[in-house]
Amino acid sequence: MKTLSFITGRALQGLVVMFGVSAIVFFALFLTGDPAALMMPPEATREEIEAFRQAMGFNDPIWVQYGRFLASAVTGELGMSLRFQRPALDLLIERLPATALLAMTALVWSSLLGFLLGTIAAVRKNSAIDFAIRVISLLGQAIPVFWLALLLIIFFSLKMRWLPSSGIGSAWHLIMPSIALGAYYLSAITRLVRASLIEVLGENYIRTARAKGISSWRIIVHHALRNALIPVITVQGMYFASLLGGALVTEIIFAWPGIGRLAVEAIQNRDFPVVQAVVLFAAAVFVIVNFLVDLAYVWLNPRIRL
Amino acid sequence: MTRFWNVRDNADAIFATFLLIAVLALCVLVPLLWPIDPVRGTLTATFKPPLSVIGGELHPLGTDQLGRDLLSRLGLGTAISLSIVLAASVISVVLGTTLGMIAGYYRGWFDIIIMRAVDVQLAIPFILLILLIVAVIGPSMGNLVVVLGVTGWAVFARVARAKTLEIRELEYIDASRSIGLSNMVIIFRHVLPNIVGPITVLMTLDLPRLIILEASVGFLGLGVQPPTPTLGNLIGEGRSFILLANWLVLYPGLVIGALVIGCNLIGDWLVRRADSRNA
Repeated sequence: MKTLSFITGRALQGLVVMFGVSAIVFFALFLTGDPAALMMPPEATREEIEAFRQAMGFNDPIWVQYGRFLASAVTGELGMSLRFQRPALDLLIERLPATALLAMTALVWSSLLGFLLGTIAAVRKNSAIDFAIRVISLLGQAIPVFWLALLLIIFFSLKMRWLPSSGIGSAWHLIMPSIALGAYYLSAITRLVRASLIEVLGENYIRTARAKGISSWRIIVHHALRNALIPVITVQGMYFASLLGGALVTEIIFAWPGIGRLAVEAIQNRDFPVVQAVVLFAAAVFVIVNFLVDLAYVWLNPRIRL
Repeated sequence: MTRFWNVRDNADAIFATFLLIAVLALCVLVPLLWPIDPVRGTLTATFKPPLSVIGGELHPLGTDQLGRDLLSRLGLGTAISLSIVLAASVISVVLGTTLGMIAGYYRGWFDIIIMRAVDVQLAIPFILLILLIVAVIGPSMGNLVVVLGVTGWAVFARVARAKTLEIRELEYIDASRSIGLSNMVIIFRHVLPNIVGPITVLMTLDLPRLIILEASVGFLGLGVQPPTPTLGNLIGEGRSFILLANWLVLYPGLVIGALVIGCNLIGDWLVRRADSRNA
């Protein structure tokens, strides 16, 4: 029963978060005092701005506007793109598959490799290979996504001419963006798995398993990794935000037609309804991911099943 | 103290200090001493590779698309980026620590509101929010500092609160209360000194995030505007010319890497020291 109330509590918390995000996204446009002037092109006349203000309902009291914004957001209405004259949500949904493909590819290769490297480093703690793996993961966390992406382009596209430098279309197009996006994540996973596995390998039950003569790899896979997984899962939610930030610049550099590029172009074109839609959408995904992480945490760790 | 100076145990910290000193030297000495103007270009000397000598002037890192000296731009850009990041970090730390201590000390409704606000803050894709706000209020240095600073308070509030919750149960806090000290005096004179340590460590570990964030905003062309250089906009501008002049993106990236590695290693080292002292 307590598990249930933990889960409902987390779900409610997610709703509160979404409410807060909606407020910030809405009121951000009022920071200069005049959202109409902000959204219109600089060369617009006063009459045009006034007409736009009327059409958008910016003359109503701000709380009425926020109420309207919330009510329509809840029903999935996320405003109209000023540039494309289409619902922002439609634009977002069009771009979603490209981003999902890129993010998933990056997540899968970096998690698998991260687990492998982290395990090797933990098992061979303080060896030369451990040192090498630690240096790699330190570099992976220090190199900005956009810089790594440009280095990849310089080497693989311009020098070797092996891979296309931008666009979408074939599996070849996916290689560099997913490497650039996954590198940070790879380092994070490697470090986490290593630290967490080293701790677990020192526990008594591992020594017991060894004493019983169970083979080393079996101990690592069946006994240690499962428990080492818990801290790794817990921080997944936190890394999701940096994944999104990485996706923004990765998509810009590789001209990848995803949500990140949609957002940056919308900001550059002052297409604020689209920006609001993307932020709200990203926050919703973030909240859902964190909720799933909480569920996984309860499921993986019987000790906290209340 | 002998353990402190053991070179083998502290090799990472020594290496990190070396990196950070190198970057600091670059951003302090170059703007002060290097004679070539970072903004004035020579259109007859565009895209000269590193170590070119043009008209008797040496360009150790080459020149860019307008014939400007990359070393002087990199020095100034590093100084500007670093100032933005450090100022923003101070805002985050002061804001977060104060709110966190007050929440942890008083508990009650203020605590609930602050902790929910932390959740909201951590749930927003920072970079999008920052881009949105900077696009609305304009990309000046001051605006960037405020936006980066105000959006970074949450982790500090969380840690300050957790530490304050521990400390408020200690006897000396009871004693302070019983001799009639006001709550504010207790918070700032008796709680604060005990959380400065963990907050400093957290600040060191949070700096890389800010450095990369500021650079990303600059790279996307939404930060401080050219011709004023920053680490991010140098790479953003150089990106168009990677076929002709890859040094334009190479060197600024190395500086970012050195900064981030330096901060990460120092942060890890501080954590390790704190752990071994507690153990």
